[in-house]
This record gives sequence, C-alpha cells and structure tokens, in this order.
Amino acid sequence: MSLADTARNAGKVIRALGVAGAMTFGTLTMGASSLAAAPAAPVAQAAAPTTADSAAPAPAAPAPAAASADAAAPAAPAADAGSYTPMAPTPGKGMPVDKGWTFQDQYSPVGEQGLWMHDVILMPIIVAISIFVLVLLLVVMARFNKRANPVASKTSHNTLIEVVWTLIPVLILVVIAVPSIRLLAQQYEPAPKGALTVKVTGYQWYWGYTYPDNGGFEVISNMLPDEEAVKRGEPGQLAVDNRMVVPAGEPIRIQTIGSDVIHAFAVPSLWFKLDAVPGRINEKMLFIKEPGVYYGQCSELCGARHGYMPIAIEALPRDKFEAWVKTQPGGTVGGAEQAAAAPAAPAA
Amino acid sequence: MASIPANEGFDAHDHAHDHDHDHKPGFFARWFMSTNHKDIGTLYLIFAIFAGIVGGAVSGMMRAELAQPGIQYLGYFAQILGTANPSFDQQLHLWNVLITAHGLIMVFFMVMPAIIGGFGNWFVPIMIGAPDMAFPRMNNVSFWLTFVGFLSLMISAFMPGGTGQGAGTGWTVYAPLSTSGSVGPAVDFAIFSLHLSGAGSILGAINFITTIFNMRAPGMTLHKMPLFVWSVLVTAFLLLLALPVLAAAITMLLTDRNFGTTFFDPAGGGDPVLYQHLFWFFGHPEVYIMILPGFGIISQIISTFSKKPVFGYLGMAYAMVAIGVVGFIVWAHHMYTTGLDVNTKMYFTAATMVIAVPTGIKIFSWIATMWGGSLEFKSPMVWAIGFIFLFTVGGVTGVVLANGGVDDNLHDTYYVVAHFHYVLSLGAVTSLFAGFYYWFPKMSGRMHSEFLSHLQFWIFFVGVNLIFFPMHFLGVQGMPRRYPDYAVAYTYWNEIASFGYVIMAASIGVFFINILYAFLAGKKAEANYWGEGATTLEWTLSSPPPFHQFETLPVIDDKAHAH
Amino acid sequence: MATQVVPDTRRNRKVGLIAGACALGMLGLGYASVPLYRLFCQVTGYGGTTQRADAKTAAGVKVAGKVITVRFDANVAREMPWDFKPMQVKQEVRIGERQIARYHARNLASQTVTGTAIFNVSPEQAGKYFNKIQCFCFTEQTLQPGQDVPMPVIYYVDPAILDDPAAKNIEEITLSYTFNETHESLAARRNAKPAKLVEKPLDPAQARR
Repeated sequence: MSLADTARNAGKVIRALGVAGAMTFGTLTMGASSLAAAPAAPVAQAAAPTTADSAAPAPAAPAPAAASADAAAPAAPAADAGSYTPMAPTPGKGMPVDKGWTFQDQYSPVGEQGLWMHDVILMPIIVAISIFVLVLLLVVMARFNKRANPVASKTSHNTLIEVVWTLIPVLILVVIAVPSIRLLAQQYEPAPKGALTVKVTGYQWYWGYTYPDNGGFEVISNMLPDEEAVKRGEPGQLAVDNRMVVPAGEPIRIQTIGSDVIHAFAVPSLWFKLDAVPGRINEKMLFIKEPGVYYGQCSELCGARHGYMPIAIEALPRDKFEAWVKTQPGGTVGGAEQAAAAPAAPAA
Repeated sequence: MASIPANEGFDAHDHAHDHDHDHKPGFFARWFMSTNHKDIGTLYLIFAIFAGIVGGAVSGMMRAELAQPGIQYLGYFAQILGTANPSFDQQLHLWNVLITAHGLIMVFFMVMPAIIGGFGNWFVPIMIGAPDMAFPRMNNVSFWLTFVGFLSLMISAFMPGGTGQGAGTGWTVYAPLSTSGSVGPAVDFAIFSLHLSGAGSILGAINFITTIFNMRAPGMTLHKMPLFVWSVLVTAFLLLLALPVLAAAITMLLTDRNFGTTFFDPAGGGDPVLYQHLFWFFGHPEVYIMILPGFGIISQIISTFSKKPVFGYLGMAYAMVAIGVVGFIVWAHHMYTTGLDVNTKMYFTAATMVIAVPTGIKIFSWIATMWGGSLEFKSPMVWAIGFIFLFTVGGVTGVVLANGGVDDNLHDTYYVVAHFHYVLSLGAVTSLFAGFYYWFPKMSGRMHSEFLSHLQFWIFFVGVNLIFFPMHFLGVQGMPRRYPDYAVAYTYWNEIASFGYVIMAASIGVFFINILYAFLAGKKAEANYWGEGATTLEWTLSSPPPFHQFETLPVIDDKAHAH
Repeated sequence: MATQVVPDTRRNRKVGLIAGACALGMLGLGYASVPLYRLFCQVTGYGGTTQRADAKTAAGVKVAGKVITVRFDANVAREMPWDFKPMQVKQEVRIGERQIARYHARNLASQTVTGTAIFNVSPEQAGKYFNKIQCFCFTEQTLQPGQDVPMPVIYYVDPAILDDPAAKNIEEITLSYTFNETHESLAARRNAKPAKLVEKPLDPAQARR
C-alpha cells in the first residue's frame, strides 16, 4: 500500500526533524541522569549500567540520524574492556509515532511477513468488502426507496445468487488462508542450536531478563519516570532503566515465564507477543534485523501497574553486545557452560 | 397441534377487546411477582436501560481519563467511590475495576437483558401466537436472579479487592490474577454476580426453548417462524450449552480462592491456561448470544420497511444455526499468544475464518431483501441500515484478527477493542435501538418522535465512529488494551475518541428526551403503525397488547409468511 | 372459554427437563474438563507436557545418531524460600540416549518447607517426545531448614521426534521446572509462631547478587 508508506515516511521525517534537537541534548545529559531517582517499582538496582557510565564517560552521543549507521559499522573500540553506553533511540523507530495510523515499521523477518500479510492481502480485501457493502446499501437506498419504487417486488428466492454469495466468500477466505498459514509456520520456526537464549520473567510489575548462556545474570528492568525518560531522550511510558540487550542480525531464543500472574511480552515493531504464564515456559524465536532500540509494553492484564511495565530491547552488533555482557555481574561470553556449571551457590 | 387440548374447539368470538378479562394484578404483585411475559419484558428493558446508564457512565470515566496521557481523574473518582486519599496504586486499581465493571455490566446486565430478556420476552410468545412463556413463574425468577446479580456486582465495587477496592480482574477474570492475585471479597462478589445472572440466563434459555418448541400456534411451523424467533431459539441453545461451562469455571475459581483447591493454580499442578480455555469456550458463544437476536431484529425491520418478505429465509435461519455451531469450535482464537502449538493455531485460524461465510450470507440477504423493495426510511429502518454497515466494518476486522500470525501483533491492543466495539457497541447496541424504535409504540401504546429518533441516529452514528474508528489506528500502532495511561504519541487519536464519547453521550440524551416526549405528547399508537410491511403477529394486536393476548387463536396467514 | 394455545404442562415440563439436563451435562463437562485436560496434555504432550517412561521401556529405545541440546531452567514461586538451580546450563545428548541431569535446591527458611515442582518443555511440540524415567518432580520434596540437596532427573528424547514434521527441526529443548510450596507446608509455616524466615527478598535479582 503505497499510500500507507508515504504517510508513514512523511510522519517519520516530520517527527525526526522535530525531535532531533531535543534528542541530542538528551543523550548528552544521560550519563549523569541514569544515576537519578529510582522508578516507581520496588527495585532500584541499576548497578551495572551506572558503573559502566561512569567508567566510560559518555562518548559524544551519536546524533539520532547517524545512530544506525554508526551501529552498523563494526565498532572498533570497546570490545574487551566491557563497556556499554545505552544507545539513543532513533525517533520513530521501534516506537509509536505521533498520529500514527499504520503499523509500526517492522524490524524482523516475521514482522515484514506479517506486515505484508496485513497490508497486501488483508487490508485491500477488507476495504473492498466494506466499500462494496456500502455501495450496495447506497444503491439500494437510491433505487428502491418508496418514491423511486412505489411497488415492492415479492422476490424472496434466487438460488443462484445465494450459492454465489456463499462460494465467493469461501474463495476469498482460501486466498487469505494460504499466506496466513505460511506466516504461522514461519513464526513457529524454532531457534537453531547455539542461538542466544534470553529468559524473560514477568513480575508484578517489572521484567527480568536472564541470560543463562552468559553466566546466568538477571537484568531487572523497571519503567523510568516520564521526566527521567524525556531527559534521556526516550519516549515516556516506554523507557526503562535497564534494557534487554541482545545482538542484532542473529536468531535469539526468547523464553517467557510469569512469576506471579500472567504477563505478556510484546514488542510491536518486532511483531512479537508471547504470554508469560506462571509455571510454564513459552518459547519463540526472535530475529532483529538491525541495531536499534525497540519498545513494547506488557500486554496481558496483570494488576494495578499493568500499564507501567514497559519493555525496551536494545539490539547491538555482536561485539558490542558481548562488551555489554561483560559489564554485567558474572557476565561471561563464550565458555558459558563452565561459568554456570558450578552450582551457583546461593548468591550472597 | 398437540398443544391444543381436543375439547377446546375454535371459538370465533373476538376476545381481544374484552377488557373485563384483562385482569391486571395490583402494583406489587404485577411488578414484583410478575408472571406476565410482557411485564417481565418491560422490567428487563427498564433494568437494561438503567444498567446501560451505569455502564455508559463507567465508560465516560474511562474516556475522560484517557483523553490525555498521564493520570488525571482516577484519584478523584476513587474518592467519590469511597477511598479517601487513594494511593497511586489504588488509583490504578480503580482503572482495572472500571474496565471490569464496564465489560461485565454491558455484557451481562445491558445487552443480554435488553435483547433476550426484554425483546425476547416481549415478542417471542406473541410472534409464535402463544399466550405467554412456557414457565411464567420461572421467567420471573430469571429476571430477579439477574437483578440480584447486578446488585452483587455493585456491592463488589465497594469491597476490598487487593490493591484497592473492587474487582480489577477484567471481565475475563483470568487466573491467577483473579485467584492469588486479588485478595479480598470483591472478586468473590463479582464471581457470584456472574453465577446469579448466569443461572437466570440458563433458566431463561430453558424457558425460550420450551416455549418455541411447544407453544407455537397451529400452522406456525418452525420454518414459518419469524427470524427474530429463530434468532432467540439459536441464542437460547448457545446460552444453555455455554453458560454452564462458565459457571463451572468460575465456581472452580471461587474454590481456588477460598477453599484451597488448585484447579487453575500452578502451585498444585493446575494450569491457568485451562481457565482461559473454559472461559472462552463460553466467551465466544457469548458474543454470538449478544449479536444473534440483533440479527433477528434487523431481519424483521428490513423486511417491514422494504415491504418484502426476507430474502432467502431458510438460508438466513440456518446461517444463524451455523454461526451458533461454529461459534463453539473457535474459542482459542482469543488465546493465540498463550503459547499454542502451531497446529492448534492453524486450526483455530481456519475455523474462525469460516464464520465469515454465514455472516456474509446474512449481510447479503439483508441487502437482497431491500433490493426491489419499496423502502421507507422510518426510524427503525435507518438504525437497521446503519447496523448493516457498522457490523460489516466490525466483521471484516474480525477476519484480520482471525489470522493467528497477524494477531501476534494485534492481540490485546486497541485494534481488538475497536473490533469488538464495532460488532457489539455499534452492532448489538445499534440493533437494540433499532428494535426499540420498532417496537416501543407497540409496547407503550405511544408513538415516539420520528424526528428525534433520526436525530439520535445521526448523532450516535457520528459519535460512536469517532470513538471507535481511531482505536484501529491506536491498535496497529501498538497501544495495549486496559491501560489507564499511554505514551504521548498515542494522544491524538485518544483525544478524538474521548471527544466522540461526548457526542455519543449527547445522542443518549436525545434518546431519553424521545421517550419522555412519547409518554407526554406522543400520539396513541395504532395496532399496526408501520403499515403493510409489518406482517408478524404482534401487529395484529392492539398497542399495547392486552394483558392476556391470543385468547382467540391467531390465524397464521400463510400468504404473509410464505417464504 | 378461551381458544388460545393452552400450555400443555406435561409436554413443557418434558422439554424443560431435557434442556435442564443439557445444561447440567455441560456443567459437569466443565468440571470434567480439568482431569480431561490433564489427561489430554499427558497423552499428547500438549502445552509441552513431558512423558513418563519406566526404565524398561527406556532401555528398549534405539539410540539415533543425531545429537540434540537439552537446556535446563529452574524457577521458584515468588513466596517460596528456596534456592533452586540447574547444575548445568545444557547437555548435548544423542536422541534416544538416557542421560542424567542434576538440579540443586536449598531451603533458605528456618522451617521445614515442602514443595512440588511443575514442569514443561519448550518448544511445546517437543513435549510428546521428552521422556522422564526418574525425576524429583514425581513426588513432593521436603527440605529441612538450611538443607541442601541435589535433585536428579533421568530422561531421554524419543527418536520418534525425528519423524514429526512439526518437531524434527528442533535443535534445543528446554526443560523447565517451577517449585511451588504446598498449601499444607505454607499453612504449617504460617501457623507456627512468627519464626524468622531467612527472608527471600521479593526481588529475585537481589537474591542473586
């Protein structure tokens, strides 16, 4: 749908222009601000990122426009030191846009397929059907009102037309069903051997991200208060203190589980949504095509602060991701088995 | 017909005007111990209107809060409801109470009582030529169970419910949020409310089924019944088979909450997902319970004002049967993200889309009924045509959501909210207004104002579309449901939706003015005030019909009912 | 005398009773769904429910050449004062081969605590093929205050997985356990005088750090 695309692009440009300035300012002040007040939710451990911040004084915050280009290039330094600076989100990418009326841009293969399914298959069909019914109604009202047609016919049967309007919808549904089933199959492709595993635990009311292959540390992720988010150049209501950091351009195994009630881990720009049910692990593959920050929100009613446990995924090139892992307590890269095999004695 | 005892032959005398036989009991006996289907229908309608005001007020509170990002009014509302100095969490809990109450009230205490209890009670016996329902006393019990159920829900709003007061579980009452996740009696009262109204509805369903099977006048064969009666028959079966499953599920919730069982508690080996299966096994037929009688009403109206018999009568009747049957095997499309395996998801995707076929048959048959007719745009007809269009829009977004792969993004977003409000708020409620204007003079004996009815339609049409159409945009942009607060980017469409609410509310004001007008200044209604197109049996009776109708056997006019 | 349709009470009662019986039947079905669902899951592996095999059956399973990775995951219900972890992140096993994996649990409370583990595997279509011969999850586990125990599980992956088009592409299976305290244990602890728990902080991250 070119109309939708045009609008989407236009929206992006406008927003990018508007926000760029604020953004640059925001990222510059970020190093200081991440130490600031704890969010509403109970935990206030922000140890890892903050130490990282102070260790590596903010390298000139990448302007939003340059962000993706910068990230795509193999990041030269940083690798071994284990340093990490939260990436500045690109305006309009991985987040809702002002007055947006189409799907968020998609950054995963499943998302692209899903978007295609909606924009190319479903949308034209449903718009056509709605318009068809509307036109029929208008025609009927114009041609067969009392003035135009004073004497009503008594026709109440026409087998042919009844068969036609049964069969044509069936055909339309078959046209929809084929790509729909294909899309489903694609979404169920299991993650391959060796794919990074992230276990997402839903708590009332925050998220925990555990990296069993990298030492088993858990990142606790709370929403940032709105003022704090805006200060950091992130969208309010969506920004978090500690993001779920993952490598871009490779399959990731996301496992979800709830610790108390059912939550749902959802990221619209990645076409990803999976319930976190207590006592039952769910799994789905996630593939993020390019580095960036992608926001989502809990999508299953989970109590009072259901609306205040957002999700922020930061996808980084592999080496930067590994550098981030090393900033985490007990974070290891590579020889994960040995590290975790020693029965992690009840942490002290 | 076996229902006519042999010793009671045909008596040609017209008793309809014999008011001496029209014994009406005293006020208390008539309205509190009523066994008269029309009186009970009236009670249901008044009750539904009242519940509708409450549920509508709740949605007003929600739209006020959502008009802007941030939390503006919840604290204020919490104070009104009796929580002094509500904490932030208590305010947020109130939000969950509001969405829960709105859902439960609108489903169980507004749409169902109005469309089945109200119009069903009033017109099913009349349309089949029966003097009353099969079990008049049970009919009364049904109503008062529903009424007490509503009280129980109201009480629950003032009980402790965990974080704050009231039940904040959503109308779906998912475990474990509704079990270990909500301490306090509020959720128990809400569950009990569902028990009561559910029991009332099951009794009502038994009553309708028996009435329609046994009490038809001679000549009124099943295939000659008006489509409204067909729709109520199918609905009654859905109620009969679906509601007990809900009753079982919520009873298990209750024992999980209070008696240490672990049906849905993972701690004892239960599975919370099973609750969802049970709930939606009820929940999906439930949405057809709400819309099928609406289909029936629309069929009557379209036929009346086209002055034509319904096109493809049998197809219409069996399309409803098909919708009812398929409605029982598609439930897991509400659970696409719970972790279903791929084959299950593919099955439910395919099965769900099948429903579009009988629904399409209905839409096209209505249009074909109008085709070649001599259309009169009286108020019920305008609402009915509006219904067809709005329901189509709601239906096609249902086809989008049916696709499990697409639903992965849209599940639990505002797109879903938009979809089900298009089929229910704009579908079922529009059919309710259509039916109301169609039959109000018949029930009250007074004509409403055609002008005000048309005016209400147009204001309502603009209002509800402003509320709900932008929600599609919010949904595809990713705004989740059941959020009191949202990212700034969602502000624009939310503002419009809240503005639309004000317009919609104004139309409800016009509705009440119209009723007032009818009672104060409305013309007396004739027996058949819609003229030649109105052929069903209620139009052979006076307006309002005598307290006891059909003391003389009605004549089933084969020509009028020839299909 | 009226000539209306006079309700035939007998016939009405009959239809009414039949309808009522249908409703009661559905009510019963609602309750029956709990054991039926459990049975269904156990038989079909639905929802990632694992299978249980005896040693004899397991010994007769042919070992296929393909190697599959089995990952281990552990969870503890929020209020339960246990530390519970797998002793290995993952194992490489040949399909059909018996293998032992160990978990490790420690009671952090100063009272005896009894718990049961519930479990499933992901991706869920692997449930049908994941067989446990011996598992700590088959029975209740009781730990004395401060007690520290290994918890073994012996399992194998059924070679039939290679014939299932929906499951044959799976290269890693995750076995997940969640320990929950039994109601009795919880009640006993609550009734005991307010003994001091080695408080397990609400935030699991702090427990780990």
